[in-house]
Amino acid sequence: MSLLTQYDADAGAVKRATRRFLIVAALTTLTLVAAIFVRQGLLRQTVNYSFVADSAQDIAKGQAVRIAGFRVGSVSEVSLREDGAVAVGLEVDADQARFVTHDARIELRKEGLVGSPTLEIVPGADKTRLAAAQARLAFSRADGLGALANQVRDEFVPILKDIKAITAALADQQKGLPGTLAQIRASSEALNVLLANGNRQVEGIGGTAVRLLGQAEKNLKHLDQTLEAANQRLPRMLDRTQQVLDHVEKITAEAEVSVPPVLRDGSAVAAEVREIVGGARQTWPISSMVDAPGPATLKPDSDPRGEAGRAR
Amino acid sequence: MRVEWVLVAAIAASACGSAPKSVEPPRLKAALEVESDGARRYQRGDFVLAERRFEEAARRFAGIDDEAGGLRNRLHLARTRLALGRADAALELLGSLPADSPRDIEALLLKGQALLALGRVAEAGQALAAAEPRCGKDCGQLPSLKILLARTALADGRATAARLHADAALELLANDEHGQETANAWRVLAAARLADLDPPGALAAAKAALAIDRRLALPEKIARDWLLIGDAHRGSLRDKAFGAAVEASRAYQRGLDIANAEGLSEISLTASLALKAIGMQKIPAE
Repeated sequence: MSLLTQYDADAGAVKRATRRFLIVAALTTLTLVAAIFVRQGLLRQTVNYSFVADSAQDIAKGQAVRIAGFRVGSVSEVSLREDGAVAVGLEVDADQARFVTHDARIELRKEGLVGSPTLEIVPGADKTRLAAAQARLAFSRADGLGALANQVRDEFVPILKDIKAITAALADQQKGLPGTLAQIRASSEALNVLLANGNRQVEGIGGTAVRLLGQAEKNLKHLDQTLEAANQRLPRMLDRTQQVLDHVEKITAEAEVSVPPVLRDGSAVAAEVREIVGGARQTWPISSMVDAPGPATLKPDSDPRGEAGRAR
Repeated sequence: MRVEWVLVAAIAASACGSAPKSVEPPRLKAALEVESDGARRYQRGDFVLAERRFEEAARRFAGIDDEAGGLRNRLHLARTRLALGRADAALELLGSLPADSPRDIEALLLKGQALLALGRVAEAGQALAAAEPRCGKDCGQLPSLKILLARTALADGRATAARLHADAALELLANDEHGQETANAWRVLAAARLADLDPPGALAAAKAALAIDRRLALPEKIARDWLLIGDAHRGSLRDKAFGAAVEASRAYQRGLDIANAEGLSEISLTASLALKAIGMQKIPAE
């Protein structure tokens, strides 16, 4: 009998514990559901606004909308319009709508350049009139890391190309350093040969003159002929010298053209490149944290150069 | 016990209410980034860099066998080449696109633009005629189609038809008062009115185009708008000879100044010739 009584008491305790557990679980679930409702803004009064953007990049449903850094609402709708533009709907808490003036604009900003994108409502100068519900506000984008990276790339690519051009110019067998050195060497050899010839010829002329002077009285005619021969040889020799000098000048000019002026500041450029490469390397891992943009849409423009109204 | 597990599962499910974030494959992401950068350059008017980006994006999309992305970027590329004044290159590119692509209307409109720029008016008309039935009465590109039809009619000497098409485009663009296409429609309407011997109407339309183009800061279009304003004043020379000539010369001079500042040699030449033609090389002070 006592055994049965004990069993009934145990069964009653288990039943009570199970009931308590079920009540607590049900209450927890209800609290969670209520919290989700509050979080999703289903129980608050809101005012709707909209704006039109050229692309849905960095804009998503549920994204925070802020005023002066405080979250006041969220993006309720993002849709593609017929003309390819993106229509975006916003829900702002009714009690915060007093800050949304009729000339307010919406700016897409990134927290600390690489953080999550947020939409900031920037109130306009005229505080006397508020924006009506469903009003369409102006929209603009602040430059983020992507734009910054592109800017760096635009600066960096021309420098790399310059470096490539310099390297190619220097390595060129014909016009580069090897060719230039070979030509200078050849020219130097030619000059040496020329000078040696000149010396020999001058010596020869000198010797002939001495001999002729000794016979001057005897044969003035012979002296005239010798001088005439020297006169004939000398201009040719001078011409050749001039040709060699011209050649050297040409080589120098070519070297000046083919080696870009940036070479003069080679060390500065190298330092800059090193800095840029270092910076790019450091920021590289961050790129994996940036969301991919959507397909781009260009605004329709059937007359990009304004040629329809070409003056006659 | 079963009820308890169900409750636990319900709690877990409610906690995981948010949708999982989609992750793009790295190569697709890279291609989209290049495309997006090209679009940004295009909007800024930096067409040379935009062209390079779109070329690269088209190559990247081709590399991952993404036909839609490739096609989209080749169309962007054609538009950029048109903006650069390289209509022949744009036409060559458009010729290589498949005829029955999902974006054939856009391709036909671009082809029409390229042919107009090359002075091949009859062929431009054919391209636009092919686009008309595909576009129907409510396609998104209808305003652009109307503007191009107006330009074709104008180039063909049919000023009245050009006016009608331009008016229709403006009607369709009634909700887009500050867009580029609205300015384009006003500009072609101004040229059509001028050709239809209506200088006051042309002047009003050209000023409307100028107001939008100035707001959008588009130098080439602003310069051409000024030339058009000069033409409109010049067209009314008979009525008020000296005043109109002064106004025309001021407008041409403004066009010339903008063209010189932007290095637009063709417009500079046109403005200089127009100034010479009205014999007003020295502009009276305002």
